[in-house]
Amino acid sequence: MKMKLCALALLAMWPAMAALSDVDPQKTAGKPSAAVTIEVFSDFECPACKVFHDNTLPQLQRDFVATGKVFLVFREYPLPMHAHSREAANYAVAAARLSLYQAVADAMFRDQAAWSANGKVWDAVASVLTPAQQKKVKAGADDPSVLGEIMREVSIGRAVPIQSTPTLVITHGATRYPVSGTINYEFLKGLLDGLLK
Amino acid sequence: MASSSKVSRAIALVLRLVLGVVFVYAAWTKLRTPWELFAMEVDAYQLLPIKAVELVARALPWFELVVGLLLIAGFWLRTASTAIALVLAGFFTLMVRAYVKGMEIPCGCFGANDIISWKTLLRDGSLLAAAVVLVVLSFRARWKAPSASSLQDA
Repeated sequence: MKMKLCALALLAMWPAMAALSDVDPQKTAGKPSAAVTIEVFSDFECPACKVFHDNTLPQLQRDFVATGKVFLVFREYPLPMHAHSREAANYAVAAARLSLYQAVADAMFRDQAAWSANGKVWDAVASVLTPAQQKKVKAGADDPSVLGEIMREVSIGRAVPIQSTPTLVITHGATRYPVSGTINYEFLKGLLDGLLK
Repeated sequence: MASSSKVSRAIALVLRLVLGVVFVYAAWTKLRTPWELFAMEVDAYQLLPIKAVELVARALPWFELVVGLLLIAGFWLRTASTAIALVLAGFFTLMVRAYVKGMEIPCGCFGANDIISWKTLLRDGSLLAAAVVLVVLSFRARWKAPSASSLQDA
């Protein structure tokens, strides 16, 4: 009976486990063995994603990721309505391959207002890279495997389905909760505390 | 005359069952998940202080369940249909406001991730229209035949 229950639980968790099996470790934070996994589907040009990145994410990292309770996975979900978000995602994924994802992501959200207006995404990216890193990231952004990784993450998002950004997909055991919109940290904290009890 | 009354009663029966089931389903989608998920959706409308958001998130699903069950059972029909029409009018107004403001937020109707769009507005607008028709039918039945009507309040 116990074996059957375990098998059923594993079966129920399979889609989430399969989706996380090929995650780029550079685009994660925390312990993979944490009780809760949060996939953050985000678009660098989306204003609500900037609010989440600037306000909610640091608190989430401090209270749950640094303490080993939550494993964070960053997923690219560039929306077609944003003219430069695909280019931004290309640079971010290319930077991740040099262990520079967080620095580039921070820079792009910091300068979002400027590059979303003038289209100069590269200026934000280059501002946190050395000339040698710039060369590699620029080349990597056109790499078919980088484009393929973004396509794969968009497909994972469509399967959720993601309807807006940012969307957090919170996985606890066999249960998945998608959360989108303006994410209030007090309620998110309450939800996570409840799941981790 | 009698056949028109029969048609009205049949329409009212269909409307109260449809609205009742929709409200019970809406309540179930919220009550089966932690209340904080619905609280985040209520909060996304950026209208209420955090304590009021918590109150709405905890109480509204139970209210939806009770009025949904009342409609299905046919008890207190005028009260339940009026309550549902008022609540739907409130939801619809807030959703239109959010849509016009370009807010990409979940509507909070049937669980997580149901982003406000013309489709959700059409769906909620149709439910509101159905609720208004039900209110009219239930009160008309009372005015016409208060003792014999099956539409009267229990």
